[in-house]
Amino acid sequence: MKSWRVLDTGLRPPAQNIALNRALLEARQAEEVPSTLRFLRFTPSALLGYHQSAEQELNLDYCKANHIAVQRRITGGGAIYFDETQIGWELYLHKRDVGTTDMQAISKRICHAAATAISALGVDARFRPRNDIEVDGRKISGTGGAFDGDALLFQGTLLVDFDIEKMLRVLRIPAEKLSDKAIASARERVASLKELLGCQPDVVQIRSNIIEAFESEFGVEFHEDELTLSEHARYQVALREIDTPDWIDLVSRPADGMPVLEAVQKFAGGLLRASVAFDTLTQTLRQVWFTGDFFVSPRRTIADLEAALRDTPLDKLESRIRAFFSGRQVDMLSLAPADFVTVVRLALKQPLTDSVIQ
Amino acid sequence: MATVKGCNIPDDLYYNVENNVWARREADGTVTIGMTAYAAALAGQIVSCTPKKVGRSVEQNKSAATVESGKWVGPVKAPVSGEVIAINEALSASPGIINSDPYGSGWMVKMKPANWDADAAALVTGGAVAAAFEAKMNAEGFAGCA
Repeated sequence: MKSWRVLDTGLRPPAQNIALNRALLEARQAEEVPSTLRFLRFTPSALLGYHQSAEQELNLDYCKANHIAVQRRITGGGAIYFDETQIGWELYLHKRDVGTTDMQAISKRICHAAATAISALGVDARFRPRNDIEVDGRKISGTGGAFDGDALLFQGTLLVDFDIEKMLRVLRIPAEKLSDKAIASARERVASLKELLGCQPDVVQIRSNIIEAFESEFGVEFHEDELTLSEHARYQVALREIDTPDWIDLVSRPADGMPVLEAVQKFAGGLLRASVAFDTLTQTLRQVWFTGDFFVSPRRTIADLEAALRDTPLDKLESRIRAFFSGRQVDMLSLAPADFVTVVRLALKQPLTDSVIQ
Repeated sequence: MATVKGCNIPDDLYYNVENNVWARREADGTVTIGMTAYAAALAGQIVSCTPKKVGRSVEQNKSAATVESGKWVGPVKAPVSGEVIAINEALSASPGIINSDPYGSGWMVKMKPANWDADAAALVTGGAVAAAFEAKMNAEGFAGCA
């Protein structure tokens, strides 16, 4: 049986953790090291996806005042708040380990295995496209990836315990966000293991579940190991590039290029509010939140819809909402899928139907 | 013009097949580079592209731009060494044109090559292109461009 490596690089500031991402991916690409599972933890950090802008994604004044370090990941996806209450897990693989060039299939396979590990703690964790692991519709782990040649890095968070209010303050999300109602509504979308289990989870158990799930998924055995000398050398080089303002500002766009737009509308089925983080440059809905006063069953439908609408080009809004509802059984009384399209278009001040444009 | 498993792979361009990138020598001696239709199909819908800045030197087979799709980030590796002299500004607003027109309006970077003749010797062009990509697609189990 093949032997892969497990590393635990402990609690570190984000520049070090991201530099290690670069170093380990390079070392895997150079075939200097075996495929590797790494566990990591962060001092309080606001982490941008590779192509994101700090001004657009983060509340920088709050981060500065609260000693939250801002850093850019080498992986894709959205901005997150990461602190000591979360565990990071990462796989460094060779393409031959996964046997496909279909990147979405690779994400799905790894997330399924991670969900199995989380479920073994006593919750029902599942993969949700495109890259989340959720429990009953609430996100418990977000993921992203990077590749270089034949080497892949796929990483995920795991919310062990979590300060939701702090996350809302760090991330630049809707204006009404600090109201009790907004915090309650965020709680419906995000879950921590502590909350779900009703007690502090055993981190040693979590680690061993994750190891076991990936061993089983890839038919390998893991052995504990340390960073190699070549990884240390690559890490020092990477840190000199990453621990700099130039790296953090690699992508820099004005905050007003991504306004959070809102609309509220009363429909026969209830009151529906949409808040939309809209990227004006690419005409893309980066994130949409639905709140209001309406009936929907199952309740997780809204969180699933929001996940499905991540990074939706404006011209695909209607077709994505229609495709979402056509694929599932949802009871919304008299609220209709078209009402979601309408309230988002109102937020964007777009014509309510394509036919309005003459 | 060559079509391999439904992917357009023009045989008048120069390719690094392993890195799935193309280069075109322009009349003024500059080199335009981008991703192949096959690379774009593997990536799926591209949502972001960040080229290296104008004035930066890039070595052959090092990253000249970075693209993101489906939360995966990866490099687009320069087929030749040289200096970045222009980037395709249109990609920041419309990265999807890399998928729809990878050899035309989806170009990424223009370079002033350091030594075209030496670097081009390692690239595949003309009649050898189709067979080289077909072998790569077969090895990678690729079904075909949609």
